[in-house]
Formats: sequence, C-alpha cells, structure tokens
Amino acid sequence: MEDRKKGFRTGGWVPLDRKISRRKFLRMVGAGAGAAAVPGLLAACGGDTQQQSNAPSAKSVEGKLTFWYWGESDAPGANDWMDENVKAYKKEKPDLEISVVPQATDTLISSFQAAVSAQQGPDIASQWATGPVLTQVWQDAVVPISDYVPKSETDQWLNTTENTLDGKLWAMPMYLIGIVVAYNKEHFQKAGLDSENPPQTWDDLLSACEKLKGSGVTPLSIGNQDGYGGAWFFANMQLQNLDSLAEWVDAIVAGTELSKAKYTGWYELLDELVKKKYFNDSVNSLKLDQGHSIFSRGQSAMSLGTDGIVGQWQKDLGAEKVGVMKMPKFANGQLAQGFNATQSISYFICKWSKNKQEAADFLRFMHTPERMKRWYELTGVGVADKRFDAATIQDPVLKQMYGWETTGSQVWLENYNPVQVDSEANIPAGQLIFSQSGSPNEASQLWVQVARRWQTQQPEQYQDWKSWKPAEPTGV
Amino acid sequence: MTQTGAPTGRASALRSASPTKKKRRRVSLTPYLYLTPAIVFLGLVFAYPFVEIFRSSFLVPSVTGNPTLGTANYKYLLGDQVFKQAILHNLILLLAVPIMTVLALLFSLILFDQVRGWKVYRTLIFTPYILAVPVVGTTFIYLYSTGGIVNKILRSAGAGFLAQDWLGNPKLVLPSIMSVIIYRELGFGVVLFLARMMSIPGELLEAAKLDGANWYRMHRHVTIPQLRSVIEFFVVVEIMTMLSWVFAYVYTMTGGGPGFASVIMEFYIWQNAFEFQSPAIASALAVLLLVAVSGLVFLQHRLRRRSESVDDV
Amino acid sequence: MSTTSSTAGGRTRRAFTIGRLLKQALLIAMSVIALYPLYYMVITAFKTREEYLNSQFMPPFHPTLENVLEALSQGDLVTWTLNSVIVTVSSVLIATAVSVLAAYALARMDFYGRDAFLNGAVSLMVVPPVVLIVPLFLLMVEVGLINTLPSVIIVYTGLTIPISVYLLTNFFRALPYEIEEAARIDGCTTFGILWRIVLPLSAPALLTCVVVNALYVWNELLVALVFLQSNESRTLVAGLTLFKGQFSVDEPLVMSGALIATVPMLLLYLFGQRFFIRGLVAGSGK
Repeated sequence: MEDRKKGFRTGGWVPLDRKISRRKFLRMVGAGAGAAAVPGLLAACGGDTQQQSNAPSAKSVEGKLTFWYWGESDAPGANDWMDENVKAYKKEKPDLEISVVPQATDTLISSFQAAVSAQQGPDIASQWATGPVLTQVWQDAVVPISDYVPKSETDQWLNTTENTLDGKLWAMPMYLIGIVVAYNKEHFQKAGLDSENPPQTWDDLLSACEKLKGSGVTPLSIGNQDGYGGAWFFANMQLQNLDSLAEWVDAIVAGTELSKAKYTGWYELLDELVKKKYFNDSVNSLKLDQGHSIFSRGQSAMSLGTDGIVGQWQKDLGAEKVGVMKMPKFANGQLAQGFNATQSISYFICKWSKNKQEAADFLRFMHTPERMKRWYELTGVGVADKRFDAATIQDPVLKQMYGWETTGSQVWLENYNPVQVDSEANIPAGQLIFSQSGSPNEASQLWVQVARRWQTQQPEQYQDWKSWKPAEPTGV
Repeated sequence: MTQTGAPTGRASALRSASPTKKKRRRVSLTPYLYLTPAIVFLGLVFAYPFVEIFRSSFLVPSVTGNPTLGTANYKYLLGDQVFKQAILHNLILLLAVPIMTVLALLFSLILFDQVRGWKVYRTLIFTPYILAVPVVGTTFIYLYSTGGIVNKILRSAGAGFLAQDWLGNPKLVLPSIMSVIIYRELGFGVVLFLARMMSIPGELLEAAKLDGANWYRMHRHVTIPQLRSVIEFFVVVEIMTMLSWVFAYVYTMTGGGPGFASVIMEFYIWQNAFEFQSPAIASALAVLLLVAVSGLVFLQHRLRRRSESVDDV
Repeated sequence: MSTTSSTAGGRTRRAFTIGRLLKQALLIAMSVIALYPLYYMVITAFKTREEYLNSQFMPPFHPTLENVLEALSQGDLVTWTLNSVIVTVSSVLIATAVSVLAAYALARMDFYGRDAFLNGAVSLMVVPPVVLIVPLFLLMVEVGLINTLPSVIIVYTGLTIPISVYLLTNFFRALPYEIEEAARIDGCTTFGILWRIVLPLSAPALLTCVVVNALYVWNELLVALVFLQSNESRTLVAGLTLFKGQFSVDEPLVMSGALIATVPMLLLYLFGQRFFIRGLVAGSGK
C-alpha cells in the first residue's frame, strides 16, 4: 500500500517516456523519410520491412496453397463445393497441398488488410469486386490474374469489367448474384394482394406493406446488427438516382455533395418504412444471415435476398410459395433501369505468394465444366462464365434472376465505396435509421463527414480514387 | 494471507535495511541483474509503445506518403461526434460500479452469516468470473434476443410490454452490456469482500451482538467499516475495468452498434487502427485514454491520501 | 406472562426463519442467474438445430454430439486449444520467473532507484492494453513475429509482470528475514537463498500469481485478435469469436464451440477452487 501510494506520485511511465523519446524521436525522423509511397502508416511500416525480413515464409510456402475463401454467405453450399474442388484437384496435382480457410463476413476486409500490413498472408484471397479488390491493387498487394491466365480463358468469364484496371484483369469471378425482393405468395394472397404481380413502384410497395401489416404478418424482414441489411438497401436505393458510376465516384471524392437528396435522400424512404413498423422488431440485433431465416420460417411477407438465399428459401418454404421482384422504383436514373447484380466475391493472387502460377491454375480449374456444373448443383447460383449453360437452371425463379444478371446493366453500388467510407458511413448510417438513433439528415451528414475524414486520413488512396474512371456497365 | 502483509512487510523491510545497506557497496550490480529481465519486458511492452503512440499521434498523413508533424489528429477528434459519444458511454458504464459494489456487499454479507450451504453458493456465484468474456457475450446475445429467455420471462410474467430487443435498441444497449459486466464481475466482489470479513476479529462482532445490535446496525457500524480498504480496492479495479477492459464485451456483443450507440474508447481505438486504417487517429485516442486513466488514478490516490490524513486526526 | 414470552419467542423464531428463508431465496436466485448462461450453453450445444428452433429453453430430448464433433472439425478448435495452452503456459511461466527475480531484488536488496522502479512497475497495472496495441503490432510486423505465438507470449508476459511483481514483492517482504540471514552466514549465495529458501516458502504466492495470470491470458481477446490473424495461430477465445461470426445462423454449433472453450478453465476452477479464490483475493493487497 505504501508503495502504491508513491507509485502514483511519480507517475510510473512518465519518466520512462521522456528518457527514451529523444533518441526514438531522432530515429523516427530518419525512418519517416525512408517510408515512401505506401498508403497509410500501417502499410508503410509493413511494406518497408518486408524486403529485409524473411518473415513472409511463415505464410506463403512453396508447394502449399493457402486460400482465404469466402462464399458460403452468398451461396450456401459453397464451402462443400470448395472441399470437392480440393479433392478433385488433388487427383491432378497430388503434390500440391491446398488449405482452404473460410473467412467470416465481418472480418473479411480487416483480416486481409492486416495481412497486407504484415506483408504475409494467403496465396489466394477473396475480396468483394471493384472497390475492395482495387484498393488492394492500389496497395500493391495483388498481381493481375490476366498475367497468369490466357486471354482465351478470361474472355469466357462474365462481369470482368468489375475488376479491370489499366487494361489488366486483377481477379476472377465465380458466380453472379443480384438482390431481389423475395415475397411469400401465401402471405400476399391472405392480404388480398396479387401474388403474380408484385409491387413495381415505391408507392405500390408502401401500400402492399400496409395491407400485409393489416393482415397480421410482418411485411419486411432483414437483419442489420452487422449493418449489411442497411448496406443492401443502399445498393438498391442509392443507384436509382444515378446516371453513371462516375457520378457516384465523383460525389464521394467531392465529399460535400453527398448530403444532397440526389445521393442520400433515400434514407427518408427507409426511415418511413421503419417508422411505420414494417420491419421485424429484431432487425437491430440479428445479423444479415440470421435475418434471412425469418423469411425462411414464413414469419414475414418480404425480404431482400440474393440467388443462393432465394434458393434456400425455396427449399425451406416450398418453391411455389416464393416469388421475386426487382426493388420497387422511386427514381429514374440510368442505373435504375438495370439490375442490382455483381460477381460479389472475387478471387485474386497475392503479391507475396510463392505459388502464383499454381494459384492461377487452381483458380482456372474452378471454371472447368465439371466444377461449374457442381457449383450450380450445390449452390443453385448461376456461374459467371459464358460456357455455363443457362438452361441448366430449371427453377423458373432462379432462371429469371440469372436472366436479369446477364442482360442489361448490372451494378452493385456498394462496390464503388472506398472501404473505409463504406464501413464508417454506409454501415452505421443504415444502423442509425433502422435503430432510430439518428435522423435521415444525420445519416446524410455522416457520409459527408466520413468522406472528408477519408480524404485527410488516406490521402494517397484519395488520389487513387480521384484519378479513377470506373468502367461503366454495359447499356449505360 | 496478505492482510498481514503490509505491516510485516514494513517491519521486515526495516530489519532488512541494515544488513543490505552494508552489502550495497560490495555487490551494487546484483540487484540490477535481477531486475534486467523485467526491465526488458516492461520496456518493450510498455515504454516503447508509450513513446510510439505519443509520436505517431502527431504524425499527420499526407499525399506524398511522408507524414508531416502537426496537431491535426487531435483537432480532428475535437470535432468528432463518435469520439464524444465514446467518452460519454465510458462514463455511463461507470454507473455499474456502485451498483455492483452494493450487490457484492449484500451477497457477501448474506454468505458471511454462514447460511446453510454458503460454501456451495460462493462457488456458484463466483463461476461467471472465470468464464471468458467472449463466451459470456456470445451466450448473452441469445439470452437477450427478441425470442430469448429474458423476454420470455417478461412475457410469461405478464410484462410482455417490457419485452425488448435489448442489444438492438440504442437506448437499452448500454444498460444491457452493463448488466452483463455486472453479471461477470459480481462474483469477484463477493469473494473479495467475504474473504476480508472472515478475517475480522470475532470479538468485534461478538461485542456488537452483545450490545444488541441488529443485522443491519451490526454490519453498518462494525463489518462495513472494516471493509473500507477492500471496498476501495474493488471500486478502483472496477473503474479501471469500465475504462479499459470492456473491449471484449462490446466486440462480441454489439460491434459498437446499433449506429454508434455502444462505441466505447477502447473499441474506437481498435476500430480506428484496424478497421478504418487510421493509426494516427488511433494513437491520438490512445494518448487521450492514457492521460484520462492516469488522471483518474492520480485523483484516486489524492482522495485516498486525504481521507487517510483525516483518519489520523 | 407465559403467553407474552411465547409470542415474543415465536416472533423472534419466525423472524429468524423468514430472514433465513429470504437469504436462501436470494442466494438461490443469484446462483440460478450465475449458472443460467452455462446451463443454456450446455443444453443448446447438445441439441440439433431443428430441436433448438422448436424449443429453446428445454433440455434436449434427443441429445446429439453432432455439434460438438462438427465444432471440433469445422473450426480448428483443437489447434486453437493447443495454441491457448502453449501461450498460457509459456507466458505465465516466463512472467512468474521474471517477476520472482525482480520482486526478490525489490524486497530484499537496497539499491538506487528501487522505490522508483517498484512504483513505476506497479502503476503500469492500470494501463489499458488497447493503448499499447498499435506500436506493438507494427513492431511485431517489423520483426516478423506477427501470426506467431511468441508475439502474444511476449505481450502477455509484459502485461502480467506488473501485477506479479506487486504480489510477489509484498509476499517476499512478509517472509521472516531470519532464515535467509542464517543461510547467508552459512555461505549461501543470494541466488542460492532465493532458490533454496525463499521459493519453497513462497508456494502460495507463486500459485496466486499463476492463477491470476493464467485466467487473464486464457481469456484475453484483444491482443490475440490483433496479433494472431491467421487461422492456425489463433487462441481459443479469439478463434471462438470469429467462429461465432462465421456460423451465426447455427446457434447449437456456436454454443458447442463456447462450451469447448469453457470446459478447461471450468475444470481447473472446480478442482483448484481454493487457489482461484485465494489468488484473486490476494490481488487486493491490504
């Protein structure tokens, strides 16, 4: 006790601090001058040292492929399919060891970011297309897959514009998904709605919700504990006012523009849905995955889902009960004419890999006919490949969705948010509205504030975005 | 065991003073040799980071990739709403400290009465403290869910209108997390207080009983005053817990949400460093947290000294 | 008169009983609350997902080991457990050894800067670990220790030294000095005294140290999360946290993982309860 008393007086760490700081300070000045052209302090320090240390061997080992894999959340069955791939490839290349590490959705970006900081990680990694992939490209963590796979092969892949930059293709698509509003036909009929003609405009949707609520069913269900439910609304709503992707990228770069109604005014519409209590009451404490199961159990009339999830719903509820519609329209921008679709996750080869060609070969193997067939059989999701026969898709609903995904323009706008802006603005802004802890105006202002912060905290990345001209989707 | 530690320690230190003093000139290096390993670890794990966070909190990222020196990180925080909320939330969490102190006192007093099976109860009540926070947090997500046991009990008790989305409601999320912290930390307080009570000389309590003091009066005037220092210890430990050890609760249960409704300083530092990739802001936050904690410790120390000098009079 | 006395007696007896009942009721209620999450974890872990969806609160009618087995195979739980054991054992051993040396010097030797060091070390107990994370992360990256167990072993050792030094210094000071003095006269070296005389006498303090630190290291999340990013290097608690994120729709599976993570500490607690309680109480000093 006596000692502790004195301890607090001398303040413990304070003198230590002063003693070392001068020397360290000098070293810092030297080191600061040396660390160049790598975005962010973290990356700067990581990148700075990797050439000298032999540390990366801890992860990328010759003859062993490590694959940080993500897919199951989009397409239930994807993990099983991947296990099959590994087994099948073992027959072709018995000496190659492949270790697949399934990734969690909420740490997918941060885990890989940490790997970049450490300059060691998997041979093949997964990130969502465009923004998340290109961020890693700009951070110099990726090698272009087009350098390792012949053009005759990549030409067969669909939606490659999503990951094309400077004439190179940086990542491989596997499948296509789009967000639809799925509805339970039984609940529609009970509420006196036409189960074959779902709402097309926003007003239709509002009146349908009112009728459904009146019939005693929860009109809409989703999970937003992790913020992804809100992000799906963003992807569907935000693009409706846009005529081109460049417009959105410019608005992000300009920052202050984002509070305009054209960009974030749609939060008013979401706010109205929440205020009228059209959503499940557990929306704020369920993760997106968990939210899907409400619709599965027939406890809501509508929910947002992608192909694999719709397939799962059909299994749980019976295919005849599930119908789908595009997100009802409230605006008429060019992009609103297309569909909210993407390859979602993209697979790419990491710069530090010691098995780049092996990695490319394995990725390519995933696009061989038998593998594509099994993908569809196990997940029910269409493949992002021209060689995939759409006729394989028997189910009319999923066929309709695959049709939307492969014709006209497809955009998943979230992929065009810088990663930081997405996690600091898009995710919490939706949570503010869903939990009613913030107004639509506060949600809009958050975008402005975060964009400004991104500009000052990630100046180099900001420059990358400023000079970036995103490839526009076909038909725009 | 340690109750007697301080006085004996002081006495033996006095006794040891003369022989070692003589030795000092001869083997003056020995003590430092003994300390070297500890110094190495403390230097690496504490001193080095202290210097580094201080330094990098003044490094402002720039387009060229070479950070410039400046106070922009701190200036940014001044206008940052989330930062203000994080501080506020930490302060709100401090409200749990008096609650759990009173509860721990109540239960330790009951156990102290040596009711039938008190040892078993002690074992059971202490159990949550050995569970890992992520385990507790994960379990409570289910217990708190809209269809979980908490709401089920409310509904079956006819209080269905109180049923809530406990972790999803921005107004309730902090009290909900707070309850989980109390749940886990309470057993520690109970065991701590009980151990101190056991060492109160029996005569004191006997004398009070003979004076006809009832349960409340006896404990109020005899037992609790004896516990003063251990209560103070518990309060200080829990204040520190609320300021610097709640990351795991927030990380597992809410991720700071909904919105920013459960963001706390620790979480915000981690988020800035590893999610938002802004280590400069994270460092500025870390410096501020360190200053705040040191300030509180200093304040506590001052208060304690004053109260002790009052006692001496 | 006899009636009055009997009523009085009756009243006290009744008050006595009501008081006792009330106390029992409170303790039972508290114990139920304390154990409920554990109970919930167990019953859920042994349910199929279907049964869980139908009845959340009842014990399983058809208990299944499926989840536990799947958790063990899906999530590298075995590797994580092993990692946790390695990390806990190594950092606790190193921290205790280092602290014994320092504490002995602080308790028994007189030298320049002794009080300053003790005060400094002890006040480090209140430093929030999150404050140290960013520079340490960069340092570990620089020396190539990220994603390796030594990185967290070093950090945990450092983090647990202040409390260990504090506990052990207090204890050593309380030991009677005469025995050591006698040994010194017999020609024992300083280290010999520490090794042969002080340590055998300090078993309770050492156990205290081990318990407090092992509990902390085993259950720690933040450090493990930041320094061990690769799947095969994770500790049990950090792995479990990510496991939860990955399988959030499969509650029985998540609870199986939680149960597996809990069992080792729970067993240690049940068998070594005395040391747990004594260890944690000892931390309170006077």
